[in-house]
Parts: sequence; structure tokens; C-alpha cells
Amino acid sequence: MAAITRVSGGMPVRPATPGRLRSRLLTTALLAPAALWYLVLLVLPLAIVVVFSFGVRARNGGYEPAFVLDNYARAIDKPDPFIASLQMAGLGTLGCLLVGLPLAYFLATRAGRRKGTLILLLVIPFWTSFLIRTYSWMIVLGPDNGLAGIIQGLTGDDRFGILGTPVAVLIGLVYGYLPLMVFPLYVTLERMDRSLVEASKDLGAGRWATFRQVTLPIALPGLVTGSILVFIPMMGEYVIPQILGYGRTYLMGNALVTDFLEARNWPSGSARAVGLIVIMFVTISLYLWFVNRGRKTREVSVL
Amino acid sequence: MSAPAVPKERVTQLPGRRESRPFDRWSGLVEGYFRTHTFLVYLFLYLPIAIVVLFAFNDTERRVTRWDGFSVKWFGVALGDSVVQKALTNSFIVAIPNAILATLFGTMAALGLQRVGRKVRLGFDALTYTSVIVPEIVIALSTLVLFATGFDVIEASFGVKINFGHPTIIAAHVLFNTSLVLLLVRARLSGMDRTLTDASSDLFATPWRTFRQITFPQLLPAIVAGFLLSFTFSFDDYVITTFVSGPGSSTLPLFIFGQVKRGVTPETNAVATMILAFTVGMLLLAQLVFAWQARRQGRRAEGASGMAGIITEQSR
Amino acid sequence: MADRDLGELLARMARTRVNRRSFLATSGLLGTSAYLAACSTGGGGTSAPTGVPASQAPGGEATPAPASEVESELFVYNWSDYISPNNIEAFKEEFGVTNFVYDIFSNNEELIAKLQGGASGYDLACPTAEYVPGMVEEGFLTKLDLSRIPNVKHINPTFKGLWWDPTDEYQVPKDYGTTGILWRKSLLPSVPASWKEFYELVKGEGSGKTVFVDSMGDVFVFPLKMLGYSLNSNEPNELEEARKILLEVAPHILALDSDTYGDKMATGEAALTLGWTGPLGQELADLVAEGDAGYSVPSEGTLFWMDTWVMLADAPHPNAAYAWLDFIHRPEIQAEETNYNLYATPNDAAKEFVDPEILNNPAIFPPEDVIANLEGAQDTSGNNQRIDIWEEFKSAIGG
Repeated sequence: MAAITRVSGGMPVRPATPGRLRSRLLTTALLAPAALWYLVLLVLPLAIVVVFSFGVRARNGGYEPAFVLDNYARAIDKPDPFIASLQMAGLGTLGCLLVGLPLAYFLATRAGRRKGTLILLLVIPFWTSFLIRTYSWMIVLGPDNGLAGIIQGLTGDDRFGILGTPVAVLIGLVYGYLPLMVFPLYVTLERMDRSLVEASKDLGAGRWATFRQVTLPIALPGLVTGSILVFIPMMGEYVIPQILGYGRTYLMGNALVTDFLEARNWPSGSARAVGLIVIMFVTISLYLWFVNRGRKTREVSVL
Repeated sequence: MSAPAVPKERVTQLPGRRESRPFDRWSGLVEGYFRTHTFLVYLFLYLPIAIVVLFAFNDTERRVTRWDGFSVKWFGVALGDSVVQKALTNSFIVAIPNAILATLFGTMAALGLQRVGRKVRLGFDALTYTSVIVPEIVIALSTLVLFATGFDVIEASFGVKINFGHPTIIAAHVLFNTSLVLLLVRARLSGMDRTLTDASSDLFATPWRTFRQITFPQLLPAIVAGFLLSFTFSFDDYVITTFVSGPGSSTLPLFIFGQVKRGVTPETNAVATMILAFTVGMLLLAQLVFAWQARRQGRRAEGASGMAGIITEQSR
Repeated sequence: MADRDLGELLARMARTRVNRRSFLATSGLLGTSAYLAACSTGGGGTSAPTGVPASQAPGGEATPAPASEVESELFVYNWSDYISPNNIEAFKEEFGVTNFVYDIFSNNEELIAKLQGGASGYDLACPTAEYVPGMVEEGFLTKLDLSRIPNVKHINPTFKGLWWDPTDEYQVPKDYGTTGILWRKSLLPSVPASWKEFYELVKGEGSGKTVFVDSMGDVFVFPLKMLGYSLNSNEPNELEEARKILLEVAPHILALDSDTYGDKMATGEAALTLGWTGPLGQELADLVAEGDAGYSVPSEGTLFWMDTWVMLADAPHPNAAYAWLDFIHRPEIQAEETNYNLYATPNDAAKEFVDPEILNNPAIFPPEDVIANLEGAQDTSGNNQRIDIWEEFKSAIGG
């Protein structure tokens, strides 16, 4: 890309060793805190989970040391929650994308000096409690004075309800996860050089072609990050379906709660969790690889 | 991505240049669509909030889904309830340090990852994604076990007793939020204009100078976004907090979820309304202050240039 | 520190959660070898009761301490709104406890999971009785010195010597109740008085208007009792029959919800609930007064639950904890609890101070003949067949 050969960090190549050493120290210092956190609060707990997954349930619940594969066998035997979660998370991510992308684009390119305020206004709702927000949706969508009630009046169908259906769950999901989609999109689009778009139009490209060949590639890292940040946690979501969906779907999140809290069978829950993590991990890796095929720049190659 | 020959800032300075010069016959429609869409989204976001605020004035004893009349009594209850106040305080005590640490660690890591080889970067990425993938209850329980076991060991070896409380909650929250910030900043970095940083180092500016004057301002939107999201997550978190908290460190979500068993009262709505009023109030105040400042300095009232400028790019 | 001898270490270990100890020994994550050696002598899982008298641990003194030594703090871990604020204030004043920390958990499972994970720091907790034996086995609880809680003499013998704590040394009863059927008269052709009637209604008029609480143990009561079996049954063929019934009613269920069913019943969205008596005094209070809403204890029998006070093994303020346990069972104090919570008190002497309306409400204070038909719950969460059926049922709800 650049004319001069670069080592990482963009410093010109100099033979001086102190410079390189300092550079390495700097890199280490930069990475150290996050690395430490990952090691102690991610790797270790996960190691515990993996160890648990091969154990058996202690008599009163919990974990007892053992080495069996039963838990994995049972997990494989019960794929339904996983499939249900996949469906829900897929639709939810799509919903977030459809709602979030135009919004992010507007904020990044059209909002002008109101950007900051609008961004803040995007998160402020989430400083109220999750539970009462969700309960408010019950009022808004409810059969009493809410949307369902209105539709009941209009159509005369006494039994019409939104709550308890997948629609209510979808609304709740998009509502809860929107910022996670919008923020990554925003930070990438905001960086977009408007002059490129202008140049493209000046050169006669149609609106759609401009979008496809200029905007989309630039937005891609944000798109990928956003969809991952939304899809993955949705796979584990269960509270929103429980409240807005009236508990009528049984998802991975519910399954884990059943295992860890109701059955107190930590080995079983751990095996299911490990299975979920592995599958998700593989999926993301494939997704990233697919998205970054043929891309030359190393920045985009990971995100 | 190919960088333009001319830095963006110069282009937008050209006088009289308007962004929304009609390009084709669809222009008006498209612009209109964006505006409407944005408006509807904010309506969507704030509709339940409006209900939350409305029902804070509900003159009812328990039921939060039926309107029984107008009353401000629940605000009185909330202000006098020391349990709720303690919970709220705890929420802040946890969320703010968590946001600061997560933003710091995440940004540093994002920058550090620019400088390492592919293998290390992939390893780090794997960890980052894993932290996002792990379901909350799994990490919550395993972190609890880790802490409990670890504390026992430390007590046995060094006689120092560590208790569950704010530090344990903060530590647990920082994990996920660091990843969040990391991902946001990296997404931002990936699209960044490298010519400026290259030029800067060509001119032998120290890395710190380059960072401070070129990189940092361009990263600022992502950093601020990361901070906001980290704070929000921590403030609203339930599962992890439940498992790693200790006596007296219950946060607001714990209090509210606990209330559900006996019926959530409008007191919760009152608390939420007060939080909203406070934050929106501060926002307005900040806007006003910046606008006043700008006017005082004789600059054209571009409005909240300070506020918006923090979040938009400010490469000056 | 370095002086800690092995004996002291072992005594401490004996008190600690056995499953964590075993885990350490196995996973070897932490390499302190002396520690591990101490662990492995005790290892082998939780199948045997620990047998070590917990009262020898620092948490539970065997000798009574005078009231003047009551600490100034008390840490309680309980359900939300489960203690009358008046009682808390009175206690604080009388005993000089300035810092009364009342932390909340939203369900039993969380409490138990947290304790099993190793959480500590609380003095008192309020688990439901069926979890007590497990907690005793794992060494989570202090063995109570009953001489320091003289007021337990007021507790009705029906609630003593029960299977979950035969010697009554590990818990003090708090309150009790049943699991039954909530109904809306005006929305149903008849008021269900038995599980069988309930079953018919759920499939009939109540279809799409029935709520089940999201609690495995409680939901299983319905099919098992209807079939005439014990609600704690672990017999595979009995459970299989229960499974069939559950799957039969699943498509007719509106919601699986432990928290807002009172609301749903009040608005008429639901006409039937398999649940508890809480809403009778709150969301449904008006309708109950009109006679349109009520609660039936099914004739085939049902579950009897009891919430208990327990003192945790490493309670940091044992004197204050004992003071509280004795205080809470003073008759007037207990009555205040019932008047506030609307749950029945096991304390006989308290009854004379309880609000007559509450005392005479058969849903809250079941009459003698009904009590005879009640069965105490056991902790059946370890039964894989039940778990599988439960998951299958949950997946099938709503059709």
C-alpha cells in the first residue's frame, strides 16, 4: 500500500534495536490489560466449564468429578432448543439490520450537528430497567388498552393477541439489541469519505451501483461486527421470549437455565454450553472467512 | 480501500457546497425515506419509555399494567426508600469504573493489535469472540466458582479474606465490555485513513504525538460509543451481577427483578423516570452550555459544536 | 498464615462446599500442593453426609451469647418484600442493629446455585424447605443451638420433625402454603375443585386461557395427583403417564409464567392458573371480594410448601442472626408477618394477633381436613426423566 516498507506500527525501518525493543514493549503494554482479563476471567472460567462438562451431577446438584461423555450425548440428543434459538436469532438479527442500517446511515451522513445528541438518545432508553421496559411493551402490545386491544376492536376478533406470539418476541428483540447493531455500523459509516460517494455519482454511477460498490464495502466491517454482536447474544436470549412470548418457546437460554438452575445439573449444562460455544465459534469463523475472501487489506481481514 | 488523494476535511470546507444536491429524481424520496425511518425508529424506542414515565404517576397499589388514576405518591416512596437508593448507588459504583476500565483496555488492545503479527491477532480475536459467545449464565456461574475457589486459596495461603462485592462485579463486567470496545474501535480503525498517520511518522513525529493528534481524534467516536455501551450494559445487567455480588452490593436490576415475585410497583417506574429526567436534563444542559460557549466565542452558532463535535470527527 | 497447621486447614476444608473441593482436586487448576493434598483426603464426592458438626465452625457458637453481644449488622438473603418493614425497624431498634442488609433473590434455584458455586457473606437465607437437606449435606448451614431460640416453642408440631429436618436443628419455619388452582368464575362454566375438573376445563372452555407457573415441581403435582400418585414420585411408569397428560394439555396453555399471572387473571386474559395464592390479596383482591375469583385446593391433594429461615455456615454475625430468629417468632411479630405477606404462619401463638379475615381465609390457612391431604415436596430436580419431560412439555406449549 505505502511506498516505503513498513514494520507494524508504521515506523520507518531503522536498524536501531532500542527502537524495536521499545516498540515491542509498547505493544505488550497495550495488550497486557485485556490479555490479563481474558486469561483470568474468560479462559479460567471456561476451563472450569469444560472440566464440568465431563463430570456428573452431585447428589444434591452441582458438580462431582468424573470423566464421562454422557452429557455430550444428552446434549446432542436434544437439539430442539438450539434450532429454535437459531430461528429466533436469525430473524432478530435480520430485523435489527433492517431497522438499524438506514438509521445508522442517516446518523452518520445526514444528521449533521445533531449527531451527538441523537447517538446519546439512542442509549438513554437503556438506562431504565430492562424489566420495566419489557413490561411497558406488554402494555403497548396488550389486549387491554394496547395494540392488540385496538386491533380486537377493529376486527371484532376477540381472541386476537400479539403477546405470546413470535411477533411480540421479535419486536422485543429488535428493541433490545438495536444499539448493538447501530453503533458498529455508525462508527464505520461515519468514517466514510463522502467525497467518494460524490465522485462516484459525478462519474455517472447510479445510486444503487454507488451503494453497492462504494458504501457497502466501507460499511462492511461495521456490518459484520454488528451482526455478530447481535446474533450471538440472541442465541442465548431467553428473558424476552419468556415475558413477551409468554414462555411458549423453549430456547437455548431456557435449556441452560433448566440445567444450571432447575436441575442443578452443572455437567449437563456445561456440555450444552460447550457445544453451543463451539458451534458458534465455528460459524463465526466461517462467516468471517467468507466475508473476507479476496480482500487484500489486513485490517478488514479480521473484522 | 483506496484512500482519496486529498484529506476529506479540505473538501467539505468548500463554501456553498451542499450535501444533498439533487442527484436524480429519486433524491427527494430517498432523503424523505431516511428522515421518516429515523423518526419512526426513535418513536419506537421511546414509546415504551413514555409508558414507563406515564405509569410512574399511576395511582395503584401493585398492578403496573392497569391505569388507576393520577398520583405522584410513588415518587415520594422512591425518594424515601433507602433500599432503592442503595441499589441505584451500587449500580453507578459498578457501571462507571467498569466503563472506564473497559474503554481503556479495549482501546489499548485495539491499538496494540495493529502492531502484532497475524497469529497473535487471530488468537486475540478468538478470545474476543468467545467472550461474546459464552452465554451469560455460563460465565456467571463459572466465574463465581472461580472466585470462590480462588478466594479460598488466597485466604488459606495468605490469610487475606476477599469478599464478594463491587470489585467482583466490576471485574466480571469488564470482561464482556472490553471485548465490546475492542470490536468497536477495531471496526473504526479498519476504515481509517492511513495516509495521515503515515505522513505523520514520515515527518518523524513520535508515536505518541501521532496518536494524540491524528489517530485519537479519529477514533473518538468509537471510543465514546464503546464507553456508552459499556456503561449501559453494566447498569442494566442482571445475570452476572446476581452470581458474583455480595451482601449489600445489589444493583438496581437485582432489586427490580426481585420485586417481580411480589409484583413490580410503580416505584420502579418512578425511579426510572427520575433517571431519565436526570440524563435528559444533563443532555439538554450540556447542549445549552456548548451553544452559549460557542456564541460567546463569536463563532457562528453552529449549535452544539462542542457536544456533537466530541462524537463526530474533530480533526482540527 | 504460614503457621496454619494442617489440622486447622482440614477443619476449614471440612466446612467448605464439598463439590468445589472435589473439583479442585480433580482439575488441578490451582497448584498449591499442600492444599490439594488436604483436599484429596476428603474427596470422593458428596454421596456421604459430611458428618462434621457445623457448629464447631467459627460460624455457629455452641454456647449462647448474651444479647449485649449482638453485632451491629445483619445480612439477610431473601425473597423480595418478604419481611414486614415494621418488624425490621423494631428489630433494629431493640437490638441496636444499625445495618440491616436485605438482599433479594428472585427464585430458590438462584439461591441454591449461588451457594453451591461458593458465594458467601450472608448470615440468614430463606430457602424453601425441600432444599434444606441438600444444603445440610453440603455443609452450607450452621446447626442451630435451639436454646438460643426459645420462641420456637410456639410453632405448631405439624411443622416439626418433618422429613427435611427431623431434628429441627437446621431451619426455623417461616411460613407455608399450597399450590392449587386459581379461577375466574365468570369466565368458566364451573369452578374446578379437583385436578380432574381442572384438566377437563383446560382442554375445554379454558383452552388458550390457562397459565401454569414456570416451576417444574409444582406443575408435576397436577398430573401425578390426578392419577393418584405421590407428587414426589420417581417411578418411571408413573412419570410416563404424567408425561402423556402434560403433553395433552400443552397446546391449550396460554403462558408459562410465575410472575404476572395475577395480572393476566385480573384482566381476564386467563381464566385458570396452576399457581399460588399471592394474587388473591393483590391483583385479584377486588374480584375476590365480588366472588368472581378464587382459589381451590384440589380434592385429590396437592403440594404443601414451607419457607424456612436458615443460618449459613460462615455467618459473619451469628449473634445478630440468633437474635433475629428468636425475635421473628414472637407471636405479635409473626402475626405482623402474616398480615403483611398474606402467607400462613406456623406459629400457633401468633394466630390470635392475625387479622381475622386472613385467618379465616381457607386459601391461606387451609382447614384441618385439607391439611391432611397435603403432601410435602421433595427435591426431585436430580431425576433425569422428570427433566426430560419438563423440557419436552415446555417445547410443546402453545402448540
